[in-house]
Amino acid sequence: MKRRVYRQPLAVRLTHWLVFLSLVVLAMSGMQIFNAHPALYASDASRFGRPVLAIDGAIDAQGRPYGYVQIGSRRITTTHVLGYTDDGMGGEEARAFPGWATIPSMRDLADGRRWHILFAWIFGLCAFVYARWAIRLRPTLADLRALPSTLVSHLMPWRVKSEPSYNPLQKVSYFGVVFVLAPIVILSGLALSPAVDAWAPWLPAAFGGRQFARIWHFGGMLALMAFFIVHVAMVGVTGVWNNLRSMITGWFVVRADS
Amino acid sequence: MRRVRFLALAGAVALAGCSRIGNALTVNPAFRRALLIPEKLDLAILGAGAPLAREYSIKDISPDFRQNGFDPPHGAQYLRWSRNEWRGYTLGVEGLVRAPHAYTLEELKTRFAAVSNITRHDCVEGWSVIGKWTGVRVSDLITAAGVLPAARFVIFYCMDDDGQGTLYYESLNMHQATHPQTVLAYALNDAPVPIKNGAPLRLKVPTQLGYKSAKYVRRIRFVEDLGGAYGSGGYWEDQGYEWFAGI
Repeated sequence: MKRRVYRQPLAVRLTHWLVFLSLVVLAMSGMQIFNAHPALYASDASRFGRPVLAIDGAIDAQGRPYGYVQIGSRRITTTHVLGYTDDGMGGEEARAFPGWATIPSMRDLADGRRWHILFAWIFGLCAFVYARWAIRLRPTLADLRALPSTLVSHLMPWRVKSEPSYNPLQKVSYFGVVFVLAPIVILSGLALSPAVDAWAPWLPAAFGGRQFARIWHFGGMLALMAFFIVHVAMVGVTGVWNNLRSMITGWFVVRADS
Repeated sequence: MRRVRFLALAGAVALAGCSRIGNALTVNPAFRRALLIPEKLDLAILGAGAPLAREYSIKDISPDFRQNGFDPPHGAQYLRWSRNEWRGYTLGVEGLVRAPHAYTLEELKTRFAAVSNITRHDCVEGWSVIGKWTGVRVSDLITAAGVLPAARFVIFYCMDDDGQGTLYYESLNMHQATHPQTVLAYALNDAPVPIKNGAPLRLKVPTQLGYKSAKYVRRIRFVEDLGGAYGSGGYWEDQGYEWFAGI
């Protein structure tokens, strides 16, 4: 026996895909912007000698260029992938993220910024619509109590079955993404704007300073990417077509025995 | 493991596809118009009012005020001025004004109140430095020059060039120019502005990104409109950067 449930209203379906598109563009244009100064500092002004993270290129003792990722004082060689990599024109150059992963491909801070800010607007507006919907996913006390057992059942994700309503783990993750992660990414991004900072000096201060806000912004992006990967994996495991259909037409099919 | 590698490869291919689509859209005239929309929204929202940029204390000042952009001017006249403590250098104030004038550095220091602010300089590239700037409020120059009501923008013409002969320039609207923290600075951290930071006189606009703070300013011109002979309102603006650099 199969049963159809109308799971997603139009506003959610529309903004879901707009958010997906925005996140792809924001990450790719964000990497373009990062390439302009590929270092993060845990302070208000930059402490140039002491980055927390740097992805850059250099020349080795034999005169060969190489790329590296520096975390604190540790360096990992990442030539051809990060630091010294695809320049978007068929060659290679010293740049943090490769041309095939940035928008635009070539080094172009001006257009990278325009892409980023346009889609930041779209993402921000969609986040409001989303928040209205996601507030219903606010985990209850019972959800939180059931969380450990749901976590255990997800240790073997391929055995997870889709259910008509969201399970506690889904609620916590979706709620967390919309009400914790998205606000962190949006607000830390705003804190990078000198005009916004003049209006709200407390904003960069809340993140530990303007440069520290870059860390929050970058880390928030990584966390969103991690969510994205797990999210897509779980969609794959629990029925690609059923999940996709519910996010396109709104209708979700549930087996009566579940 | 093989499946993970396959998926990683598929992800990279998808990214590369998006990057290509992005390249095509970036030069598409219709999409370009969309890319220009946010700047107008940002200016409308953030450009009203005149909040002050945060002012820091002496201990926050960065050990080195990083230099970025073009090489310092290298013309014979500039080099001569720099060797003679800027004797002979003047700042021209011209355009839609009742009293055009060319100020020597000494005149700027004696005729106008010296104002200081310790503010953060945010480069469009992403880094920040903090420095103490001392100089003349642009609004004081506006009052002294008797700027005509028709003037809506002020253009700052500079002495440094991009290596191909194009001189740096910038512009502000009158609202931004009369902001109390908008100064033409002759001192950085209580010493004359170093050559690398824009000697003898540089603009400082702490509420916008660093490229608005034009260095090596030679003359300022009040105009009715940007565009045409005045370009997009700045060297970097002509390269596609936002004229409103508040974001």
